[in-house]
Amino acid sequence: MMAIRELKVCLLGDTGVGKSSIVCRFVQDHFDHNISPTIGASFMTKTVPCGNELHKFLIWDTAGQERFHSLAPMYYRGSAAAVIVYDITKQDSFHTLKKWVKELKEHGPENIVMAIAGNKCDLSDLREVTMKDAKEYAESIGAIVVETSAKNAINIEELFQGISQQIPPLNPHENSNNGAIRLGKQTTQMSRPCC
Amino acid sequence: MWVTEATECLLRTEETFSACLARINTIVLEPLLQAEPCDQKGKDNLKLLMLLNDHFHALWDLTEENHRALKQKFSNSESLCLQDLYILWKGDLFLSIYIPYFVTFANCVVVQGFDQAAKNKSEFWKTHKTALKQFLADFTSETSMPVAFHTVLHKPIREHVQQYAFILTKLSEVIGESPERERVTRAAHQYTKLQSFISQVLDEACLTKTLWKSLGHKLTDLLCVPERRLLEDSKNLPIFASLGRTDRVLLFDDVLVLIQGNNVQSFDLKLVWVDATCSEKPAPEKHMLRIVTPEEAFLLSAKEPKIRAVWQWKLNQAVRQALNGKRDFPLWGEAGEGSEPPVQRVFKYTFQAESRFKNAAYEGEWYWGKPHGKGTLKWSDGRNHVGDFKEGLEHGFGICLVPLLSEDRYDCYKCHWCEGKMRGYGICEYGNGMVYKGYFKENLRQGFGILEKPSAEQPFKYTGQWENDKKHGYGVWDDKDRGERYIGMWYEDHRHGQGIVVTQSGICYQRTFHVDKMVGSGILLLEDDSVYKGNFTQDLTFVGKGKLTFSNGFTLEGTFSNKSGQGLQTQGILNTSSDQQDDAMMKVQLGLDEFPVEKRWQGIYDQFLEFIHAGCKEEMEESFTGFHVQTSKELRKSQEYLFCQRDPEDVSVKIEDVLEELVEHQNQESLQCYLQKAFKSSLHPLGKLLKALTLTFQATYSGIGANKHLLNMAQEEVKHYAKIMWEFYRGLLQQALEQKGQPLSGTEDGEKSDLNAYRMILPLILPCFYPELFMLYMLYHEKEDDLYCQGIMDLSLFPDLKLLEFLDVQKHLWPLKDLILTTNQRRSLVKDKCFLSATECLQKLITTVDPREKLEILQKTYEEIESTVTRVMERDYKLPMDDLLPLLMYVVSRARIQHLGAEIHLIRDLMDPTNEGGMYDFLLTALESCYEHIQKDMRLHQRENWHVT
Repeated sequence: MMAIRELKVCLLGDTGVGKSSIVCRFVQDHFDHNISPTIGASFMTKTVPCGNELHKFLIWDTAGQERFHSLAPMYYRGSAAAVIVYDITKQDSFHTLKKWVKELKEHGPENIVMAIAGNKCDLSDLREVTMKDAKEYAESIGAIVVETSAKNAINIEELFQGISQQIPPLNPHENSNNGAIRLGKQTTQMSRPCC
Repeated sequence: MWVTEATECLLRTEETFSACLARINTIVLEPLLQAEPCDQKGKDNLKLLMLLNDHFHALWDLTEENHRALKQKFSNSESLCLQDLYILWKGDLFLSIYIPYFVTFANCVVVQGFDQAAKNKSEFWKTHKTALKQFLADFTSETSMPVAFHTVLHKPIREHVQQYAFILTKLSEVIGESPERERVTRAAHQYTKLQSFISQVLDEACLTKTLWKSLGHKLTDLLCVPERRLLEDSKNLPIFASLGRTDRVLLFDDVLVLIQGNNVQSFDLKLVWVDATCSEKPAPEKHMLRIVTPEEAFLLSAKEPKIRAVWQWKLNQAVRQALNGKRDFPLWGEAGEGSEPPVQRVFKYTFQAESRFKNAAYEGEWYWGKPHGKGTLKWSDGRNHVGDFKEGLEHGFGICLVPLLSEDRYDCYKCHWCEGKMRGYGICEYGNGMVYKGYFKENLRQGFGILEKPSAEQPFKYTGQWENDKKHGYGVWDDKDRGERYIGMWYEDHRHGQGIVVTQSGICYQRTFHVDKMVGSGILLLEDDSVYKGNFTQDLTFVGKGKLTFSNGFTLEGTFSNKSGQGLQTQGILNTSSDQQDDAMMKVQLGLDEFPVEKRWQGIYDQFLEFIHAGCKEEMEESFTGFHVQTSKELRKSQEYLFCQRDPEDVSVKIEDVLEELVEHQNQESLQCYLQKAFKSSLHPLGKLLKALTLTFQATYSGIGANKHLLNMAQEEVKHYAKIMWEFYRGLLQQALEQKGQPLSGTEDGEKSDLNAYRMILPLILPCFYPELFMLYMLYHEKEDDLYCQGIMDLSLFPDLKLLEFLDVQKHLWPLKDLILTTNQRRSLVKDKCFLSATECLQKLITTVDPREKLEILQKTYEEIESTVTRVMERDYKLPMDDLLPLLMYVVSRARIQHLGAEIHLIRDLMDPTNEGGMYDFLLTALESCYEHIQKDMRLHQRENWHVT
């Protein structure tokens, strides 16, 4: 059987940029046959193949309100990847994104994969953040960047595929220093009863 | 017809006999008894004669009485029946009178009593010689007096017995086939047997008498007692003993005697074992018997197998009869008849040879010359051992009392012994009031043990490792007078190596010790959360270079000194630019690297591992895993242990049953039940292990040990216990399967084993450690929990709607429907009504100790929130974190759980590590973020922006 790697992914971004919509879309499109319990739209999982591995994304949503920002480290602690979402129709949200990137660089886990998602690309009429700005910024910090539309299911798959590819393949001789990455050998681990 | 004939015959006989007895009495016995002995020998002799006289009279009375009764009946010419022939049915009574008479008579013969008596009154007898003549047909003037007495006192009586036998034999001949005939024959046989008994007794007596005459005075004085009879003599039947230069072997009815010159070695037959199967040195012309006694073993060798066979048979019969305490009747069966004496015997013996047991008396079970089985050993110095023995040594359970020289006190060891030495688990109550409960080896405290002195004077308690009777290795010492606890390393009874000291006042420090002295620098954690790193003395004054960090973050680094009476002096730099107070410093955890968790209670684990590796032997169970006595009822019963009457039935669950059950309960669910039962049982090895670990945990972390700086030590210890328990469970299972010849299905790697420890074991054992452990978590989070409680208090002033608004919960999520108003109530003032189900659910968090159950409660709380939201919105709504976090915040603040910080930390430490990153981790993180937020930010917001009216 293929090895399953659990990857903790943390969602960051302002309230209303559509963090959870992206995840909902991602998780809904391919119905997971192993029904994993979820916490509303706040915690979801989805398993996708990647090379000769299976990546099980454990996706942690965070509260976007400004007042809860100080709590974020508890959520992104131990993450393999962070999806930072902004709204292309709101310059402010892009600004917040930059703050998140800065914080992750300073306090986030080492080698965390960062993916920038410019959501609501279906509303390009109201665009305030240009694709070029986003791309340049992403390049400067070495992050993945895509413009997505949770509503129209654009680039959602690609976003997570991008993350998968960025995750270094598991070297069995080398212990991963990332707490969220574990090698599950037993099926029991997958079908573990959770309640 | 024949009855009358027999009766007449009997009457005639009895009449003659009775008259004869009367004459013997007057002419012989009475004068004999008038002797006036002048020496001890004479006195003893007279005593014997008096005894003989008693038996004589008893015999005479019996004869008279029966004779008279029969005569009367006969003269009244009543019809006579078989029943009237009393000798027929009173056989046993007759035997009981005749046997003692002849035995006593024989005793007189052996000690040459009649010679004595004749000498005594030789003048008198010379004149009475003629009177004696009438008894003896062949009496001549040459016949000596002793021979005359001898004959007179036994011959008529012996002949009378012959008469009885004759009458009965005749009767049986005429009686014809009938059940009565059977009876008559049997009775006749009884008298015949008595006849042969009498002749054997007389033969033995003569033989013995001859022996005493032939042996020198010295030996006779040493060996001769009236009752002793010679059974065999190597002069008669040549046999040679291998012991020393023995020149004669004598077998008596009570002892086996080896004579060498004038020296005598005698062996009580009750403790003589005869081994004919010995194959030592199969020399061609020697036929050996091995004789085993408590302190000697030697060979008897004969030249012919026949001779050997006779000796062997005689020895065995003599031993058996000695053990029975009475001779057979008649004395000897036919050669080859009679059973062998038992190999297992009960007897008392005092050791004489130079050895550990010299002058000690052993009373109990023997086997081939060795104490073996249950017994009591008493030394001359008052030492007393009651218990099990094996091959001559203390082995198995035993209780040993050792008196103290100076006082009227004892050291009492209730312990397991192995080959004469204490080994395994034991309880020792010392005469000075100390009590040790733990393991011994080679009579010394070794391995894990608890030594306690509960008395008023300098009470202490040591829980830890021992070696050669000394504290050595990791251990916890409680000095109850000083209110101090030392947790750390010991070396030959001294604090040596790394150690932590905690005090009653909450101060705690970690130092390196060298033979009880503190060396180098250490870390001192004061109760006000200031921390000192450097050198300090036992009474906690700073000396030399050091750095003091105050709880507000200021640091003082320099050289400290303390001259008496002048207070603390220092030269150094005070740094007030504290960038945030250093939380890590205040909560620094001690002992983690110094005392690796695997090594902390090695002594306990070792015992259990050894038990498993030794194959879980029933008889070893107690010695490896400790006594099970726990309940007060059983404790009362434990007095019985002093008598070693430990009924195996009620002492312990049979280990075979334990193993059997293990095999049956392998699937997950039944295993859980099984383990649960096992842990609760004070008899199951796992239950005992848990009990021991609970004791060590309490010894370390309860009371004074409740110090926040020990939290990590404690929690990692509990997790390690779970791992150990799982390993032991697997070990037991493997053992159980091996005994059934099955392999253990599939090996476990470390990771899976750990998981099972978390899933199967931890929830079951956690209740035992929870009180102490949770106390540590509470102390660790004391400050945060206080702040959080303040926050909760503040928030509790808000009515529901105000709080929802304050927390930025979106209006469409407000459960307005749940606010049922009575008249005079304003909606905006209602409290504790919204999300009530979720709140109540969350409050159950403190009702369980199991981290998994706590997480499940958390999940249910979420589900309650979700269901309320669904009800309010009248559709499914997947809560994103933007909505969920404020709602959760609301529920947490309403649930008002007191030590939430401690709870969260405990769950995080002890939950199944596979949860990491998963749903439970997420929920716990969400809860934690609420907790953080409430203690840090709520109050700030409230003061700045909100006014509660």
